[in-house]
Amino acid sequence: MMEGLQPGRRLAKVWTLLKNSLVAIVKGQFLLRLNVGRYFIHVIFTFFVLGAVIWASLQIDTTLAKVEKNKETLKEMEILYSEKAFDVATLGRRTTISEMLKTMGSSVTEPEKPAKTVKK
Amino acid sequence: MNQATDTAPKRKNDRIGLILYMIYLAMLLASIVLIGKIVYMQVVWQPDEKIYDPLTPRNTKKVLEPVRGNILDRKGRLLAMSYPVYILHMDCTVGKESEWQSKVPALAEGLHRIFPEMTAAQYGKMIRQARSKGQRYLSIGKPIDHKTLNKVLQLPLYSEGRNKGGLIVEQKNTRRYPYGTLARRTIGFVRESNPGVSNNLVGIEGKFNDILHGKDGKEWFRQTDKGKVVRNFDSVYVKAEDGRDIVTTIDIDYQEIADKALRAQIDGNEDIEGACLVLMEVSTGAIRAMVNLKKDSSTGRFEEIENMAIGRRHEPGSVFKTVTLMSVLDDHCIKSLDEMIPTNHGRISEARVDDQHIRDHEAKDRTSSISVIDGFKISSNYVFAKLTLDNYGGRKVDKLMDHFKEYGLTSKFDFDLDGLQAPNLPRPEHLSDLARVGYGYATELTPLQVLTFYNAIAGKGRMMKPYLVDGPCVLDKSICPAAVADTLTRALKAVTEDGTAKWSLQNCKVTVAGKTGTSFGTFPKGQRGSDPYHDPSGRRKYQGTFVGYFPADDPQYSVISTVYSYPTIRSYQGGGIPARAIRALIDELYIIDPYWQEELVQCD
Repeated sequence: MMEGLQPGRRLAKVWTLLKNSLVAIVKGQFLLRLNVGRYFIHVIFTFFVLGAVIWASLQIDTTLAKVEKNKETLKEMEILYSEKAFDVATLGRRTTISEMLKTMGSSVTEPEKPAKTVKK
Repeated sequence: MNQATDTAPKRKNDRIGLILYMIYLAMLLASIVLIGKIVYMQVVWQPDEKIYDPLTPRNTKKVLEPVRGNILDRKGRLLAMSYPVYILHMDCTVGKESEWQSKVPALAEGLHRIFPEMTAAQYGKMIRQARSKGQRYLSIGKPIDHKTLNKVLQLPLYSEGRNKGGLIVEQKNTRRYPYGTLARRTIGFVRESNPGVSNNLVGIEGKFNDILHGKDGKEWFRQTDKGKVVRNFDSVYVKAEDGRDIVTTIDIDYQEIADKALRAQIDGNEDIEGACLVLMEVSTGAIRAMVNLKKDSSTGRFEEIENMAIGRRHEPGSVFKTVTLMSVLDDHCIKSLDEMIPTNHGRISEARVDDQHIRDHEAKDRTSSISVIDGFKISSNYVFAKLTLDNYGGRKVDKLMDHFKEYGLTSKFDFDLDGLQAPNLPRPEHLSDLARVGYGYATELTPLQVLTFYNAIAGKGRMMKPYLVDGPCVLDKSICPAAVADTLTRALKAVTEDGTAKWSLQNCKVTVAGKTGTSFGTFPKGQRGSDPYHDPSGRRKYQGTFVGYFPADDPQYSVISTVYSYPTIRSYQGGGIPARAIRALIDELYIIDPYWQEELVQCD
């Protein structure tokens, strides 16, 4: 468009373009002057998509925060499980069982002869 | 750009349009300012270093600790496991004064309920004093488990979180042993690096530390706009590799029975320094129980503080006579156990042998000869010195040394625990040394090596490597012909039925083949002339051993027990405490071991 023009006229042309654009921006007519009204729906969609991306990003952060919290809960559960397993193992000792039976007044004691097993 | 001149007149008196226009202008100005500010901050502005760090959300690296593997017994029962404990501290400087002070009494009361070592008043005083001194790291109570931590977190003040309540919780992973001190030395432990202690890796925990520990991982975290910390998926993530579990051959029931049997014999005995007992499966070499009890000098109680079964090398005493007997049988030096040997009043002057047992035998039976089996039963040093000197004296001594090598007695095997002492069997240079070797002196073995040899006899000559984790493994398919092993079994049965172990193993529920042995610890030279076996007061340090296998006719288990005494005037023979402990063990195993359980066949 500006090919073949002298450098001075070319500069003036650019200045006019910038001035008009600036005035159009101030007046709120920039997009209308670019004649992008027919793409209005696309502009709106772009804004919507950008908004959606920001919202999704925030939601992902929230979800990740939940994941970390759940990990903590899971870890706590594992620790509790380990503690219970320890308690159960401690109670499995032969002498402990004998003492508990004795305390409870049970007549069950260690056997005096080998067990007999039934073979099918 | 086209001029839109046709819209201008319509704007006159358009109040809504004007308002919208003003809003638009304001937003335009704001956007210009924002863009300008962004450009300024990116290009020109230098933040104050003091506020830069706290206000800049950054990635934080977290090292992911792997979960240490468990140690299990042969039936999968937990012998060692890990879970964290929590160490509590309190920042006493936080919170508003009046509110804080009003909650302290309730907090102190709660702390007293959880940690009753101190009264509520003492807790209250301690916390208030710490606040007045501005203490930010006051230690509270002792390390607690997660269940207790949850109770602590419910207490007044502490329930308000770190910033308001001042509770600081530190997590520390610890190793726990559900069966307490049972097999503690065998299960072992890993000490935190301690420059004063040379061995920080003990037992299975130490030997298999790399497998149990696993590999550390790393993870990066970032802060969200809402201040939450989440994993940063843009950074490297290395998953922690949890440690693997280790299944051992230990049977914790058998271990407990063995522990109880040995304790019953030594508890309360002031002369005893310690004792060990090892139970091994004949066919595989799997160690089912390994008890090591040594007197703790500070408490006077017997604790698992030294693995004597593998770490104490000493003269085996008469249990070594079985090695001599195997040699002479192997070389056909004697045709049978009933072969007679002249007694010579129990003396071999050139080898400085003088055996009172033989003179007793001569007097009792009015005889001048003794059979090999009778010599073995009464554990005669004379008989075995004579057999050794007659058959391996002079140039034949190398033949005896070769036998020791064949029997796997000269080198140590690769054991699952560190600290197994190498045997010491020097070539005897003098007749007296050769004679002493014949009856178990001038050689040094650990109880585990003696047991391995006896286990091979029980296995008809097949020598299995003792193992706790890695196995089974055959050390030698045949250290002796099966016929020799059978003959030895006959001799060993004679010892328990009519020999030195008779009184301890009388009426045992299972037939046992075994041998007693007693040796003496040495004292530094010069304490009592040339006699290294007595202290200046004439006392001796006894090492009494009983080793054998059962049932004698179809061996399932081999077992050894050695007792170590302090210098004493009392006698601690292998046929005493060790044999009695083994008898108690066998009687209980007989009841619970499946081998002795009778099978009833169900008929339709």
